[in-house]
Amino acid sequence: MAVRFTDYLCCLFLLLLLIGVTPATSGTLDSDSVEVVVHPSVPVRNLSRNSLRAIFGMRLRAWQDGSPIRVFVLPDEAPLHNLFAKEKLNIFPYQLRSAWDRLIFSGTGQAPFLVNSEEEIRTRVASTPGAIGYLKRVNIDDTIQILHIE
Amino acid sequence: MVRIGVLLVILYPSWINAEEKKVLNGLQVHGFLSQGYIKTTDTKNDVFGDSSSGKGSFDFREIGVNASHRPITNLQFSMQLLSRQAGESSKGGIRIDYGFLDYTAITSETKELGVRLGRTKNPLGFYNDTRDVPFTRPSILLPQSIYFDRTRNLGMASDGVQIYGESRNDWGDITAQFGVVFPQVDNKNTEAAIFQKSQPGELTPRLSYIGRIIYERDGGRFRFGISGAQVNAGYDPAEKGDKLSAGSLEFIPLIFSLQYNAERWSFTSEYALRHIDMKNFHNPVLDRSFTGESYYFQGIYRFNPQWEAVVRYDAYYADRKDRDGDEWNAFTNELNNFKGGRPAHSRFAKDLTLGLRWNITPSIMLRAEYHRVNGTGWLSTLDNPNSTFTDQHWNLFAAQASYRF
Repeated sequence: MAVRFTDYLCCLFLLLLLIGVTPATSGTLDSDSVEVVVHPSVPVRNLSRNSLRAIFGMRLRAWQDGSPIRVFVLPDEAPLHNLFAKEKLNIFPYQLRSAWDRLIFSGTGQAPFLVNSEEEIRTRVASTPGAIGYLKRVNIDDTIQILHIE
Repeated sequence: MVRIGVLLVILYPSWINAEEKKVLNGLQVHGFLSQGYIKTTDTKNDVFGDSSSGKGSFDFREIGVNASHRPITNLQFSMQLLSRQAGESSKGGIRIDYGFLDYTAITSETKELGVRLGRTKNPLGFYNDTRDVPFTRPSILLPQSIYFDRTRNLGMASDGVQIYGESRNDWGDITAQFGVVFPQVDNKNTEAAIFQKSQPGELTPRLSYIGRIIYERDGGRFRFGISGAQVNAGYDPAEKGDKLSAGSLEFIPLIFSLQYNAERWSFTSEYALRHIDMKNFHNPVLDRSFTGESYYFQGIYRFNPQWEAVVRYDAYYADRKDRDGDEWNAFTNELNNFKGGRPAHSRFAKDLTLGLRWNITPSIMLRAEYHRVNGTGWLSTLDNPNSTFTDQHWNLFAAQASYRF
C-alpha cells in the first residue's frame, strides 16, 4: 500500500515539475497604467498588496476605523479589470471570479459591486463612503483619492 | 400609454435610488439554473436517469437561489434554496442547501475569527462547498471518486456550529474551519448508498466533527488543503420486519488537496482516504471495517476567457486492500451459498475524462464532456438496483447549459 502512495506522489511531483518549466507571462504596460482609487474619506493612503488582495477577494470587509469597505469592479472580461488584477493584485481574473463564487454560493461572503464603465467607477467611488475601485491614471480627478500599494 | 411612460420616467430615478440603497445596505441575491443531458453508450449502466436508453437522459437539472444580508460589517445572514433533479437519487424537491448566521468576532487587517450557526456547507476538499453550482465546477460531473453524487446528502451540508479563522501574511494566507455538527442522513439516497438499498428503519444523525485548513500562496497561485471529518450515524430499526439491528456507522474521510494556477493552466490533484466502520447491524455484509482510497489528477487549459478544456484521470477504490474487488466477489459469493457474488468491478472505478467549456457570456455557459470508465464503483444503486446487470467498461457523454445571476 505504501508503494501506491509513493507512486501517487511521484506522479504529482513530475506534473508539478512540468508546470514549473512553463514560462510565466508578465503583462506590464507603462502607458495608461492602472491605479487603485478610494473615496476621499477613507482614512488610508498606503496599503500592502496582501491587504489589497484581501479587499478585492472580499475577505477584508472593514477599514482600520471599522467602517465598511465597498468594492467596485468592472466586468470580468473588461481589459482594465484584467490589467488591474495582474498588475496590482498579481493574480489572474479567473482566480478572482472563482474566489468570489466560492463565497457567494457557500454563503460565507458577498460579491463586489459590478459597474459597467470607468466613468461609473469614478462617480460611484467619489460618492460612496468607504468605496474602493480602480481607474486608468488619465481618468483620475480630485473627487477621488489614489491609494499607494506597497 | 403616454401617462404610464411619464410615470415611469418620474419613478425611474427614485427606483434606482432605492435599489442602490438596498445594495449598499448589504442585501444580495444570486442564483443559477442548469439543464443537463447524459448518454451512456455500450452499456446498461444508468447515470442520472435512463441514460442508457436510445435518446439518453435529460433528467438532470440544478436550480439554486441564494440571498445574503450584511446589516453590519461583521454580521451576515445567508440562505440558499436548492432544487436538484438527477435520476432516482435527487427528485427535484426544494430544500435548504444552507442557512446560517455568520458573526465575525475578531477582525483586523491580517486576522479574522468568527462563528457560523445553522446549516453550513461541509468544508471538504476544493469543490464540496459549491458542488451544485455548475460555474464553480471543473466539469459537469465532479471527480466522482471524491465527490460521489450517490452519498451527496451525507457530504453536502450539516447542522451545527462552525468556527472559522483566517490569517493573511507575506508568506501566504491560511483559512481554517472547524465544525461540530449533525450530518443529514435521514434520506433514501444516503440509506441506499450505505445499505445498498432502502431499509425499513431509519438512519439517525449523531454528533460529528468536520474541519479544513487551506494554505494559499501568492494570492492563490499555489493552494494546499487538508480536510477531514468524523461522521457518525446510528440506525433505528423498524418495529416489525427489519432484518437489521440498531447498528452504528462511523465514516472518517481525510482529503489532501493541491492546486497550481497559472495564466492559462491550472493543475489540481486531490487524494482521499475514507475509513468506514460499521458495527452491530448483525449483518455480515454490513458489519465491516475498511478503508477506501481515491485520487485524481486534473489539468485545465484556457485558450481564451471564453474557451477552456479539461482532462482528468480519476480513480476510486472502495477498499484499498481489495483493489480489484476479487475478495469482495468471493466473500459475497460465499454468503450467497456460492450462487454468485456481487461483481468485483463494483468495488473500483477508473475514469478518464475529456471536456470543453464555452463561456458564451460571463453568465451563460455550455459544456460537453466524455468519460471512459472502467468499473462501477460510484454508480448509483438507485439508478442501477441490480449490480449484476451492470457493465465494467462503459462510456458516458454529457452536455450541460447553465445560467447564473
